[in-house]
Amino acid sequence: MRRFRAYLVLVAASALAQGACGKSKAPGGGPAAPAHVEGTPHTDAVLDAWKSAGLKPESFAPVVPPPYVAGYCERGAVAGVDATVCEYADDGALDRGQKQVKDEWARTGVHTGVVVRTKRTLLSAVDREARDPNGKTINQLIQAFRKL
Amino acid sequence: MRRILIFAAGLTVLTLSVSAEAAVVRYMSQHPLPRKMGGGFCYIDVPHVHDFGPSDPRMYRQVDGEYYFVGDPSPFNYEGPRHAFYGPHPIVEANVQFGHPEYCYLQGPHYHWYEPPAQASFELRGGAYWFTGTYDPGYYQERPRYMVVNDAYAPIVYERPVVDVRVAPPGFHGEIVAAGPGWRGRAVVGGPPPPLVQVGVGINVGGPPGPVFVEHDNGRHRGWERHERHEDWERHERGGWRGGPPPPAHGGGWRGGGAPGGGGGWRANPAPQQGAWRGNPAPQQGGGWRAGGGKSGHGNAWKR
Repeated sequence: MRRFRAYLVLVAASALAQGACGKSKAPGGGPAAPAHVEGTPHTDAVLDAWKSAGLKPESFAPVVPPPYVAGYCERGAVAGVDATVCEYADDGALDRGQKQVKDEWARTGVHTGVVVRTKRTLLSAVDREARDPNGKTINQLIQAFRKL
Repeated sequence: MRRILIFAAGLTVLTLSVSAEAAVVRYMSQHPLPRKMGGGFCYIDVPHVHDFGPSDPRMYRQVDGEYYFVGDPSPFNYEGPRHAFYGPHPIVEANVQFGHPEYCYLQGPHYHWYEPPAQASFELRGGAYWFTGTYDPGYYQERPRYMVVNDAYAPIVYERPVVDVRVAPPGFHGEIVAAGPGWRGRAVVGGPPPPLVQVGVGINVGGPPGPVFVEHDNGRHRGWERHERHEDWERHERGGWRGGPPPPAHGGGWRGGGAPGGGGGWRANPAPQQGAWRGNPAPQQGGGWRAGGGKSGHGNAWKR
């Protein structure tokens, strides 16, 4: 009985530990998923700000591994505009990431593209198919993002 | 068969070389959309890129490879805030930095989406902001090049702001004109003297022609001239402005359309004296400024 109790405690402790680290482990024991970067607005806060502004972010999910030398990135769409929000640990990495975004546009072309920063969080919004012809959605995204 | 293969290979190489670098055009702020893109206005007020260029480069300033729209957004279905200005002035959009002074060269009353910051040398009078500071030398140097923005607006029919030029601030150093290419001030005359001039609602088509007032003394309300429209000009007016090319770079101020013969047409002398630019005295042969192919010296003008 004592052995059984000890076993239960071990199992519970293991489950707790796994739960606590759930965000940093990919399912199936794959490579560790990136964690949010401290000291700059998190992606969740960006999405909340957009929702508060009446926008509807859709299908946002972490990008693994994070692109543009970022510490953490999520990608999704808002009213047909592709948006990528990335968090950076330092300004140098953010500058390099911003340049990579622009270089990518120069290579592949975009109908409309904007990349702006707030603190060390970078927003890249791309309208590939002219879903936002007058840029009003993109401008709303930027206005809300800049208030963070 | 061999020829076809060589042609196909050449075509592939050409396609790849073209697609290697996509067209990316950089804009600094908001701007009109070209008609081929459906027209209207782009409201993105931060630096951004498009895969199309500006519809009319005369309405833009290019700074470090980025296009900045320097014109009046009103004719392009613009729905944002608008602030009225009168005459040329420094561009004072808060979140746009050029690194050096850039000027708007639009004549007469016009709108922008920005308003001057409190510390800038502008006075709000008669319904518009007037620049009362001193133009730096760059303003005069670039003027011949950038006055073409007025040509760009010439054929566009839209409402300009209504500005009461009687209350122009004395510190305003630009020209006060009651009409320009593409717009015409509706001068309401209270009987000479004094003339009551309300400039604005500039529509260049339809309606009987009204008198045009040109002030030659920068708001001190002397020397008003009334220029009756000549029939030739009236026909031009109805068909929209038929202004010629911008004036040559030898210091002449803007004159709409063909220059009147015999030295007519008031010009602003670019040489500042005592730190402030003043318009020249009225032309000797009774010319006066004409908005589009006007003729001088027909004896219909009156002077106060």
